[in-house]
Amino acid sequence: MTAILIVLIILFPWLGAVLIWLMKNAQEKLTHTLAMGFSVLSAVLSLVLLTRIGQEQITVLSLGPGLGELSFSADGLGIVLTSIANSIGCLAVIFSKDYMNGEKDLQRYYSMILFFIGAMSGLVLTSNAMLIFFFWEITALCSYQLISFYNDDPKAVRGGLKALFITQFGGIGLLLGSLLILSQTGSLNIQQFIAAAQAGKISSSVLAVAGFGLIAAAAAKSSQFPFFTWLPDAMEAPTPVSALIHAATMVNAGVYLLCRFAPAFQSVPGWNTTVLWVGIITILLSSFMAIYANDLKRVLAYSTVSQLGFLFAAVGAGSVTASQFHLLSHAIFKALLFLCAGAVIHSVGTRDMRLMGNLYKKMKPVGFCFIIGACSLAGIPILNGFWSKELILESIHSGTSLPVYILMLFAVILTAIYTLRCVWMVFFGKEKSKLHVHETGRYMKYTLYILAAGTVLSWLSFGGFSSAFSKSLPLHEIEAESLGEFLTTIVKDPLTYLAILMVIVGFVLWFFHKPAPSKAILPKVLETSAVNSFGFEIINQKIVDKIQNLSEFSRGLQSGILNWNIFGVLTGLVLILIILGIGG
Amino acid sequence: MQNNLLLWLLFTPMISSVLVYVVGRFFAPHDDEKPNKTVWLCVAGIIATFIPFILASINILNGKTVSTTIGDVTLVFDGISMLVSLTVLLLGLAVILFSIDYMAAEHSEEKFYGLLMILITSIIGLSTSTDLFNIYIWFELMAVSTYSLVAFYRNRATSLEAGIKYLTQSAAGSIFIILSIAMIFGTTGKISMHEIPALIASSKRIMIAAGACFITGYGIKCAFVPMHFWLPDAHSQAPSGVSAMLSGIVIETGLVALLRSLSALKPAAASFGMIFLIIGALNMLIGNLGALRQSEVKRMFAFSSISHMGYIALGIGFVLTFPESTASANGVFFHVFNHAMMKGLAFLAAGAIVFNLKQAKGDHSPLLVTELDGVSQKYPWFALLLSVAVLALGGLPPLSGFISKWQIFAGGALSKNPWALVLIVFAGINSVLSLGYYAPLVNRMYRHQPSQTVLSGVPKYSKTMLLSLVLLGIFVVLLGLVPMLVSNFTGSASATLLNMFQ
Amino acid sequence: MSYIIVVCILGLLGIGFYCLLITRNLLKLVVALQVLVKGAMLAVLFAGCLVDNMEVAQSMALTIIVADTIVAVIGLAMAIQVRQITNTSNIRSISTLRK
Repeated sequence: MTAILIVLIILFPWLGAVLIWLMKNAQEKLTHTLAMGFSVLSAVLSLVLLTRIGQEQITVLSLGPGLGELSFSADGLGIVLTSIANSIGCLAVIFSKDYMNGEKDLQRYYSMILFFIGAMSGLVLTSNAMLIFFFWEITALCSYQLISFYNDDPKAVRGGLKALFITQFGGIGLLLGSLLILSQTGSLNIQQFIAAAQAGKISSSVLAVAGFGLIAAAAAKSSQFPFFTWLPDAMEAPTPVSALIHAATMVNAGVYLLCRFAPAFQSVPGWNTTVLWVGIITILLSSFMAIYANDLKRVLAYSTVSQLGFLFAAVGAGSVTASQFHLLSHAIFKALLFLCAGAVIHSVGTRDMRLMGNLYKKMKPVGFCFIIGACSLAGIPILNGFWSKELILESIHSGTSLPVYILMLFAVILTAIYTLRCVWMVFFGKEKSKLHVHETGRYMKYTLYILAAGTVLSWLSFGGFSSAFSKSLPLHEIEAESLGEFLTTIVKDPLTYLAILMVIVGFVLWFFHKPAPSKAILPKVLETSAVNSFGFEIINQKIVDKIQNLSEFSRGLQSGILNWNIFGVLTGLVLILIILGIGG
Repeated sequence: MQNNLLLWLLFTPMISSVLVYVVGRFFAPHDDEKPNKTVWLCVAGIIATFIPFILASINILNGKTVSTTIGDVTLVFDGISMLVSLTVLLLGLAVILFSIDYMAAEHSEEKFYGLLMILITSIIGLSTSTDLFNIYIWFELMAVSTYSLVAFYRNRATSLEAGIKYLTQSAAGSIFIILSIAMIFGTTGKISMHEIPALIASSKRIMIAAGACFITGYGIKCAFVPMHFWLPDAHSQAPSGVSAMLSGIVIETGLVALLRSLSALKPAAASFGMIFLIIGALNMLIGNLGALRQSEVKRMFAFSSISHMGYIALGIGFVLTFPESTASANGVFFHVFNHAMMKGLAFLAAGAIVFNLKQAKGDHSPLLVTELDGVSQKYPWFALLLSVAVLALGGLPPLSGFISKWQIFAGGALSKNPWALVLIVFAGINSVLSLGYYAPLVNRMYRHQPSQTVLSGVPKYSKTMLLSLVLLGIFVVLLGLVPMLVSNFTGSASATLLNMFQ
Repeated sequence: MSYIIVVCILGLLGIGFYCLLITRNLLKLVVALQVLVKGAMLAVLFAGCLVDNMEVAQSMALTIIVADTIVAVIGLAMAIQVRQITNTSNIRSISTLRK
């Protein structure tokens, strides 16, 4: 039963993708309806799957030499993420009904989204390392295709390609890791590998290479330091795509990978610390960039990067539950924020926050939902972001040193500052230009309401969440905690109030310097470097230039002169003779 | 009966080659625009060849042997021949279907089909031969038929230029092969690959020289760096169908010939594997760098063939160097098959676009990358299939290129050798690099604003062209999702390879 | 005796490759290939002498003659075609395919 459900949950959206691709341009309405139908049904399937969390391992068939088996595991880690992907995917598709209304090439848009949803489910459900890589690359492919959906816009194309290259480059780490798993255990099964690693059957150097390879892959996918430059540029994608892929699901794949493999690498010296510091550095850098950004979607992108940094830090501090719980909250409230931003952008026709202002009066429902999301992001009680962030702070406090905790508190201040700035610039303050505001569509509003409700209520699921994790992930050694216990710990902990205080400090700091938020407290250098992505854009550009120069050099070798070609042949003969002579 | 099977496998395409040429000569249409009807004889010939092929394959898969002896020459149909024949027959069928309309306006198309059938015969023959000289004969027959095919547009200077460069370098390669055969024959007195290994343990140095000559000679055909310079010219100037054949199967057949010949020398040198590893790395890098800033579509694919030969050579290197890397052997043959389908599809889809945009209007200039802008608006199927082909070539799942690359890497990783891992990472980086030229093509094709060339393209579809593309496209997609479909063939081929070098 | 033959073989190969490396004339290219093949064929016959198996060597040599004649014919045909179209026999002057 579970096996059928899992296979269905991957293949059903793919079937939808194929069907939708075959639609004609004129059948716009049918295309919308089909996409909605398929995504709603797969969301329902994924919710059914939630009831089947357990330790079950499903092996369908062998794929061939070196490819392992088509196998899945029905544990909490995977199924929770599947449900997030399918549910938010479904909401994003419904939102698109209004948002993408009248756009060209809808077939390609919906096909890619459904293809992505299926692949994402596969990525988190499979227990074969090769298949993780397989689905990993499919999600990269879809993400790239959707970012550059508006292919005529060179910025969109560049953004898509950048996302593809950086995630693929990091993906080599996953390739290496998976291949090491294969070479060391003779199978690609992840459970077997973790068990072997915990039993000390794998040499420590190999384990270290695999572990750091996976960190590289995860950092690239989750847009962490030093690979964080692609996510802001990915904001050229249609906004529902940003909400689904670049906030709620695909970028979490990196965190998922670390959580999945974390028990195997506990014995690798420096593995946890590296994950922790990658997270912390990312949080700080991206928070500053968010403070100075003026593009609404870019602010949200930077904030996504920094929240993913929180998830990394939690994994580094050793708490998979905290990381995954914040992942759930973040997926919901960030999807909400993105979709609200989408509604705003759709209505006013620009993404520049400097042109917005005082929009709350004109679009109350959207504004209200956005503020709920923003409060959750900043960590205001009793929204879901508050509880999960407290959980992370607590795990960092108990799992690492005091300076790290202080840095995290500082990050909380920064989060509050950029969140408030964003809300203020868009919905309050002075009206800066005469923007004509369109009516927000019906489907848009409904999805926003659902997500807002989720933001307010999702933390109530903690009890079930925690018990599912502890029950289904024996290798992770997670202790179950009921909702009541969890709430009591948080409420009784004085550090919680310290964190809330920090949020207030952030708000106050921003209010006092409202006209020029940072100039008074922060040095000018910080602003220039934050606007320039702390030099990482330049590094990216330099690498691209180097490769292109190399390519031109290599093309110069293709002289097109026959005599030189013959010379090449003779050189080849001599070289082969030399190598064979030495080797033999 | 089994003897006859192998003979029929060779005779059927041979006879149809003669038939197509002679009949086509008599029934050439007066209207230049219409395709010569005799091409259907050619299609029938290929389909007829499938019958002995399938019967022979069933025998092989049931563990029987299929062989025949004519005079001194023994031909054996084994796992490798089975895979190569399957590949060449499928690709040949697609190419011929594609060429019906593509070549319709050309002068004397019957020559084209006749030569194509000879090419197919020679490839099947080569894969079954068991002695060094016999391989050389089939190899030379294959080369000769491709010379004329590359320079088929005999009134164009560029196509003649490519033909002459190809001919000169390939003929120079043949010299090395003959020399190598002479060295081996002069030392052992034998040319049969089964008898030689027992006789050569004593004379190592000359055998190393012979091995180097084999690698150089056949390596020219396989486009091993630095013997690859002819390939971008020849593959980009040939008619699209021929480019597909050349990139899809001819260069891989060169590799099969090389492996068979080297297997005769296996006691002499342990470092053949090392050569393949080095060549593999070089090929990937040079091919990708050459394609990265290429402005002509077909030339870009030609360079990409060089880099794909790199992956294949890398896999062979793993198999020959590390005894644990048996999965690489599977991967190599899977990649040979996949590459035939992917590159065939890429060249044919590009050819279909060239045909509709230019050829049909008598314009013979090469298709530029910039001219692909917005192709999907007018030719959605061609754009889709070309996208599938290039993404598969770039190694993106769920397409077939991913699986075979993974298998090659997996074999290398199983050796537990750190250098193998370094090479795999290098290959991975190259795969990412290759997306640097594949992915922008897809972006261009899906623009909304078509280029001027696209706007002025011919509005009609050719059904046979589309059929041939879909035939290849199905394999590219399906083998990525269900790699087990051809595992009988690749498994049998890899068992043969491992047996040869045991 | 055998030294002379080896020197002959190497001489023919050397001349052939030297010619391929420097000539720009299409006809000379074909001639160079012919010289090379003759060298290689001599090597085959010499090998036959060494192992005292001239029958096989001769049959191989005959086959090589056939193959290389075909190559020469195609090469010459292309050379003539180039001459007719571009009015030159210089390979450099028709070398447009590069990079």
